[in-house]
Amino acid sequence: MLDAAPSRSFDPKDYLRLQYMPHFMCPGCGHGIALHALLAAVHDCGIAKDDLAVVCGIGCSGRVGGYIDANTFHTTHGRPLAFATGLKLARPDLTVVVVTGDGDCLAIGGNHLIHAARRNLDLTCLMLNNEVYGMTGGQASPTTAATRFTSTTQSGAIEPTFDACALAAAAGASFVGREVTRQAPALKTLIARALRHPGFSFVEVMSDCTEIYGRKNDLGEAPEMILSQKADMRPDSHRDATDQPFRPHALPTGVFVERDLPEYGARLRAHAAAIRKEAGR
Amino acid sequence: MTQMLDRRTMERREIRLAGSGGQGLILGARILFEAFAIEGRRASQSQSYEPTSRGGFCHSDVVVSEDLSDFPLVTGLDALIALDQVGYDRSIGLIKPDALVVVDERLAVRDVGRLHRLPLAARAVATGHARIANMVALGAFVTLSGLCHPVSLEEAIRRETPERFADLNLAAARVGYTLGETVAV
Amino acid sequence: MSARLTALHGNHACALASIAAGCRFFAGYPITPSSEIAEHMSHELPRIGGTFVQMEDELASIAAVVGASLGGLRAMTATSGPGFSLMQENIGYAAMTEVPCVIIDVMRGGPSTGMPTRPAQGDIMQARFGSHGDRPVIALAPASVQEIYTETIRAFDLAERLRTPVTVLYDQVIAQLLESVAVPPPEAVHVSERKWANGAGPAYQPYAAGEDGVPAMARPGDGHRAHTTGLTHSESGFPTQSPPVVDRMMRRLLGKIDVNQALIEKYETLMADDADVLIVAYGITARAARRAVTVLRAEGVKAGLFRPITLWPFPEAPLRRLAGPARAVLVPEMNAGQLVLEIQRLVGRDPPVHPLGRIDGEPIAPDEIVTAVKELAVHA
Repeated sequence: MLDAAPSRSFDPKDYLRLQYMPHFMCPGCGHGIALHALLAAVHDCGIAKDDLAVVCGIGCSGRVGGYIDANTFHTTHGRPLAFATGLKLARPDLTVVVVTGDGDCLAIGGNHLIHAARRNLDLTCLMLNNEVYGMTGGQASPTTAATRFTSTTQSGAIEPTFDACALAAAAGASFVGREVTRQAPALKTLIARALRHPGFSFVEVMSDCTEIYGRKNDLGEAPEMILSQKADMRPDSHRDATDQPFRPHALPTGVFVERDLPEYGARLRAHAAAIRKEAGR
Repeated sequence: MTQMLDRRTMERREIRLAGSGGQGLILGARILFEAFAIEGRRASQSQSYEPTSRGGFCHSDVVVSEDLSDFPLVTGLDALIALDQVGYDRSIGLIKPDALVVVDERLAVRDVGRLHRLPLAARAVATGHARIANMVALGAFVTLSGLCHPVSLEEAIRRETPERFADLNLAAARVGYTLGETVAV
Repeated sequence: MSARLTALHGNHACALASIAAGCRFFAGYPITPSSEIAEHMSHELPRIGGTFVQMEDELASIAAVVGASLGGLRAMTATSGPGFSLMQENIGYAAMTEVPCVIIDVMRGGPSTGMPTRPAQGDIMQARFGSHGDRPVIALAPASVQEIYTETIRAFDLAERLRTPVTVLYDQVIAQLLESVAVPPPEAVHVSERKWANGAGPAYQPYAAGEDGVPAMARPGDGHRAHTTGLTHSESGFPTQSPPVVDRMMRRLLGKIDVNQALIEKYETLMADDADVLIVAYGITARAARRAVTVLRAEGVKAGLFRPITLWPFPEAPLRRLAGPARAVLVPEMNAGQLVLEIQRLVGRDPPVHPLGRIDGEPIAPDEIVTAVKELAVHA
């Protein structure tokens, strides 16, 4: 099913619940680009909508799933990976995609991320990182860079940030990658690779929140924020001193981890089959 | 002739095995429970639920009652089997005035109920191992109480103990019968 | 084939009953004194094509259970007070999204870490009100190992039939108790099949229900591509904040319990019809009360027992009927006074309703109840 050739060219309308348009995302929000890339990747992989389950948490990222014409689950804050674990174990026939955010996945749901990565169940997790709690009014998240102004860091953030990809990789994820919303085609390709990867795939999508975060930090309007993404992605040694970095730390993009590890669901079923065989059932 | 408890009575009976963790008290109670079940009697078996496997006061109780919803915990003991001093000291306050009390001969006890001080540990060692004192005690208890038939006890021992220990446990129970019969005469 | 007698500990009986009820998914996290349920399930489920997964915490456990149930399996978890606290949010999610699941809460001494190896009955109000907002609640309170078996099966039946989480509450004493259980043959175990949206056409509304208040559920892959959300939603399953729609949906959700009260309600009485003093007790405490009634009647004191087996929704009408003619009502329970509040609400001031609480980690003994009843019988 996954590798079947797409029967027709990609039209996002085929994958959207058009009756719920226009969507609720702010103008300039990167989440729409991420949604488009996800749908294009689903199309490229030939996944039937009936066989696709999208599990979301809470926050702006949590609302993305509702627009997808698939089996969609808007769960509780921080827990989509845990819900998805139950769903995928119960229904290995489904392609289960988790759409989560930096707060949902790294703060309240951080424990579930590291354990999902460790188990290596065949889930694809898209973490839309906009560095802020957008839905609740722009509070600091675990990826809010130092010195940034948010409604809970009104004199500048001081906490260190998480590198979500390093975290997922260290916890054992068998596929880890990162891409920016500015590079939409590369993002689609990365998500498609993640969907095809048998095991836990973690994709960090560098999204941006113009309305609440960009404005507060003089990062410009959406075009400026999106255009500055690429510059900021360059390694430190290549950075121009005149850059006005949107993200002060260089974040590499691409696939960082792709390893062949036993997939948890298959392992669990093989283990059970061996037990049954031994028990003569 | 010792006073026998009528095992056909439908009355509630409360039995405690007391001692220290590691003496096989829970297994003993489980075997007793099973022996009653073999005779068609309904019972509840409970135990102190603490980390006691390496010593310290431990008890395991069996309450026999035909009322399935009867209170399953002990309220006044009809019988107490105590393998050591701590087991005796911590449980003696719970006995009914005419309770059957079976204790190891080395214990310091006062004259209560129908008291029988028996060489449980010594006979266990002579039979093969100190750890089968619980089975010696069960054998003596069955003879002295008449609450269940030795055949049921032996069947319960076979069901509840690993095969390689079954013969040793059965031998210990039979030593217990003899002890019980000796003092009962 | 008739039932066969098997010696089982309470938690073992719970696990076997779950499997007999068709449970094929268990997610949990170790916690005393419920861990034996997880241990038995981890052993049994792989042997019958089911799935056991030990999650990273209780938040994840209940989430995985709801996820598996959304996928179509009968699913459960088991925990004790501290874990039950952590599960509350997603129990509310299951109630709101109408996803069947069974939660076993083996009650131990609280609050906080409390006394992990000692019994208590301190979670009954949490079972009723623990999750935020108003939600439909079903909680069952077995009193024996036999009843753990039958009520666990009933929990699955009610959960699947009414599409709601069902909690089974029992305490450490019964959890660890060994008793003979009449295990029914498999063909005698009945659990309702969840109402699936089989063959529903494009007009299918995931949260539209008929007279029983229970909507048909879309199974992923069946072509409905439904949306499930914990946000307040309309019949379509999509969020709404329209006051009349919200009102209609919430009344239907909560009314699901009222409409099916006769199905859910279960209780037992002992000499309650002519009782001067009516004892209302549940779980292990009801067994002490039962012994107390026997002792009291033998002494000429007219005591009776009302034992709710379904704790929530409380069997209101039968309690009111039996409490009315009594001179006093006594509510012994292993907490500082929880169910007594509900009984006072139901009975009012006449007859007076008295608490008998014990919070030291010891079960309430029959003679404590005997003493309290005698006191009431004299002064009432």
